[in-house]
Amino acid sequence: MTAPTGTDVDRGFRAPIGRSWLAIYRLQLRLLVTWGRLVTMLGLGALAVIIGAALGSGGRGTGTENATELVALYGLLLLLPVASLVFASSALGDPREDGTLVYLWMRPLPRWVTALASWAAALTITLPITVVPLTLAAALAGAPSDLVVATALATGVGAVAYTAVFGALGLRTRRSLLWGLLYLFIWEGFVANASDQAAQLAILAYTQSLLSAASGQPLDLAVVVAPWSWIVPLLVAAVALVYTVHRLRVQEVP
Amino acid sequence: MSVIELRSVSKWFGSVVAVSDVSFSIDRGVTALLGPNGAGKSTVLRMLCGLTRPSDGSVRVLGGDPATDPALARRIGIVPQQEGLFDKLTAVEFVTLAGTLQGLDDPGAAARRALEVVELDHADTRAVGGYSKGMRQRVKVAQALVHDPDVVFLDEPLTGLDPRQRKHMIELFGRLGDEGRCVLVSSHVLDEVERFGSRILVIVQGRLAAEGDFHAIRDLMDDRPHRIRVETDRPRQLAAGLLAEGVALGVRLDGPQAVLVDTVDAAAFRHAVGPVAVATGARLLAVAPLDDDLDSVFRYLVGR
Repeated sequence: MTAPTGTDVDRGFRAPIGRSWLAIYRLQLRLLVTWGRLVTMLGLGALAVIIGAALGSGGRGTGTENATELVALYGLLLLLPVASLVFASSALGDPREDGTLVYLWMRPLPRWVTALASWAAALTITLPITVVPLTLAAALAGAPSDLVVATALATGVGAVAYTAVFGALGLRTRRSLLWGLLYLFIWEGFVANASDQAAQLAILAYTQSLLSAASGQPLDLAVVVAPWSWIVPLLVAAVALVYTVHRLRVQEVP
Repeated sequence: MSVIELRSVSKWFGSVVAVSDVSFSIDRGVTALLGPNGAGKSTVLRMLCGLTRPSDGSVRVLGGDPATDPALARRIGIVPQQEGLFDKLTAVEFVTLAGTLQGLDDPGAAARRALEVVELDHADTRAVGGYSKGMRQRVKVAQALVHDPDVVFLDEPLTGLDPRQRKHMIELFGRLGDEGRCVLVSSHVLDEVERFGSRILVIVQGRLAAEGDFHAIRDLMDDRPHRIRVETDRPRQLAAGLLAEGVALGVRLDGPQAVLVDTVDAAAFRHAVGPVAVATGARLLAVAPLDDDLDSVFRYLVGR
């Protein structure tokens, strides 16, 4: 090896981006999937399917009404954000808490590689765990095909935004699960209902607007018109990811 | 320019000053960073790795700022103090990951070599979550060495190792230094540090208390006044005898059956106390040093 000279830093050196990204992505997938999380989230998804089937076989309203209410009130208000919170806040939050972040940070890599790979892993898990059961539940509840597609679209767009936001939250704060739940239940659950302006600061308003536009069913928080109903969540995700990269650059690593 | 340079570095967390106006420079070879728990050793190491930024002053490693230049990580290996590892991975997966993220062409082969260096079996299929503390420590050392770094920072690397593994690691660190690497090892165990090498930095209460050759500092430590408590049935007679023998700077009665003795030569005192007790007809019940812990040694160094 070359002895250190004190001045010959390989300033331009970077580890191969693609290989490093894939390594962190695969690592995060393994770390994020635990039996506890998986069973809980699959259970919540299965419950949506069971409720959908029950509504489809004996609900009071039309198939569109039943499916819209199920997806809006159970899927978009509960399952999607909670699943996103559980997986995304752990992606960088757990390594920060247990001190293993140093093994990702102390590498010759741009910080965005770590941020994007971690977010992508959380999204990879969250998407099937939420989109599949909610889409199936909507279909079983009697939703027409365009509403089934809208369910998948709203859930997918919501997952992109929620995972990015909760990923940043996990890196930024301790007890991110608690803070995330407070945001969901206090802000999205109550405050956003108070005014249209407050609703526009809740991701739920955008996912419900997407769903409402497709179903024609009025929903409390469906106050955003297209194309903003899908552009804004994607912008929120982008801003959250930029913030995550910034935090990785300036934050003290335990 | 030295490999590592700290200039007037301070670090505070809120109102707590962790490191205060520390300056030193280090070249290749093994240097030990010695200090009691909570002295600021880990904070210094963390600043050297860029994991935390100094509140004041400058840190340079290989001429760069480790906090803002990720490329420096290619030439630095770190064994952090915290025990956390990616517990689902096997040792070879963990070290291979480190090699991959360091941009090695063949991280698998490098990982196997690094695990051999620390005497771990790369074919072990157990996840590191099931490893003993000593094995986990060796995994940490392997991931720090997998990319053949020029500078290695090790924060209490011997924690949890058995005596044989300690010896092996100390030899390994010496070899790394002999090969031209700059190795900085922190420890709070004086005897451990003695075996790392001759150059040490002593940190106490966030300040650099001493730096230089280990033996000179060790002599300084040994020459400091010692206070010893002797329990006996005839404390007055024993105290007078010790003063007359010239092995005590001062004596003070401590209750009806004990005497506190100040001495600058603990070895001479130990040799003399028995014969003096016999000569004065005193029965020795207990002899215990009151300030032989590292904290008091370090406090003495700070006071000088």
